[in-house]
Amino acid sequence: MVDLIGLAMPFAYLGLLVGSLATFSSLYRKRKTARSASLEPWFDPHVQRNIYLSLLHLEPQPDQDKATPVPDSILKAALLQRAAEDIRRILAIRGAKQPLSQLLQRGSVGDDLWQRFLRAEKEMEAEVKDVVEEANALATNWGQTVFQSANEMVNNATIRERVGELQAKGRADREWWDKERESISSKFMQELDEEVPAGGSKPASTKAGNSDEEAVLVEAGGPAAGGSTAGSKGGTVKKRKGKK
Amino acid sequence: MDETFTLLPIQMDPASKSLSSPTRTLDPDLTALNALHRAILALPNQIPPPPTNVNPKRSAQVQKMRDQGNASLRTGKSSPPSAAQAQEAIKLYTYGIEMATGRPGWEPSALVKEEAGVLFANRAQAYMAARMWPEGAADAETSVELKRAGNGKAWWRRGRCLCEMGRWEEAGRWVRGGLEVEGNEQDLSGLAKEIAGHLDKSGI
Repeated sequence: MVDLIGLAMPFAYLGLLVGSLATFSSLYRKRKTARSASLEPWFDPHVQRNIYLSLLHLEPQPDQDKATPVPDSILKAALLQRAAEDIRRILAIRGAKQPLSQLLQRGSVGDDLWQRFLRAEKEMEAEVKDVVEEANALATNWGQTVFQSANEMVNNATIRERVGELQAKGRADREWWDKERESISSKFMQELDEEVPAGGSKPASTKAGNSDEEAVLVEAGGPAAGGSTAGSKGGTVKKRKGKK
Repeated sequence: MDETFTLLPIQMDPASKSLSSPTRTLDPDLTALNALHRAILALPNQIPPPPTNVNPKRSAQVQKMRDQGNASLRTGKSSPPSAAQAQEAIKLYTYGIEMATGRPGWEPSALVKEEAGVLFANRAQAYMAARMWPEGAADAETSVELKRAGNGKAWWRRGRCLCEMGRWEEAGRWVRGGLEVEGNEQDLSGLAKEIAGHLDKSGI
């Protein structure tokens, strides 16, 4: 009897110790996952993925009692869009990983940001696997090429955007050039006009009114002129004023 | 995000199979999706072929437009092409550019870059023959953007167009950038000398 009670004591102690440690660890883990789940996601909601999955669960329209099944071709298109968005996200993750880990080492960014990043990376891996499975379900062996196609789609979209930008810049340049040419030719005409009174022998008193008018014209043309021509124009205006 | 998703309000027209949504925010995505769907319907398997298989038809058409444009610019003697010839060439090259950039998205982007890069450089030349400098400058820049190395002509053409518009300093910067990429290309370094000479003169 005495022995049993003596033995029970250390066992009770051990049980208490293990029990309290287990409670602490499970509580700690639960809190940690809850905290990482409550962290803001790295990316915005994945619209293309939501569209694809919404199409799989399409609701019947109000006037029908059964939903028309979505044809496979639409699902394929939606999956392709989803894969293209995945490619964009994978590229974003790849680009961010190196600098972010350096910043983390230096202590410039908090651990929260790194946790968010790791979670996004893990999610993307699952997402890619999911897309490949869906693609294989829609057409045999499509999973092998779906991301190749999606990658080209992303590249082509970038190219088109860039070409569009540069061509738009060209159109803006055309407008600028039309104005510039006008101001150059009007400046040229004015210089021709100016040379006539300067060539004549001192018509100062008789042509005073006339030269006044010209000075006003020159000043009005000033602000419209391009940067390169403004300097010389300012010079002519000053000269005129000095003469008067 | 693993097992959950947001159910979006999407409707499908049973007859035309086109998708729509009552919320405006989804419109751009659904429009893109409908366009892609129409493109996919035209495919034999209704899945895009891997980028290694390319339908040669479009490349042949692009090539044809390019050859016709080149032929239109060519003149018997070494006299410059007339304005009408230049306009005709611009039209042909523009068709070619539309075809090259209108390639379905899943076809290799490297091919688009290659074909459109050459066509933009050629159209820049046609614009220069028509004395349309801003358009020529923009096309040459686009060509360089698509095909950066081995594109000395396009570098030279934008430089020339900028000079013609009196933007000498910008032209100088541009040609210096071109020389870095192309090494000492003959025409390009000639133009660089000309620009330096002009800037010296106007500087004094």
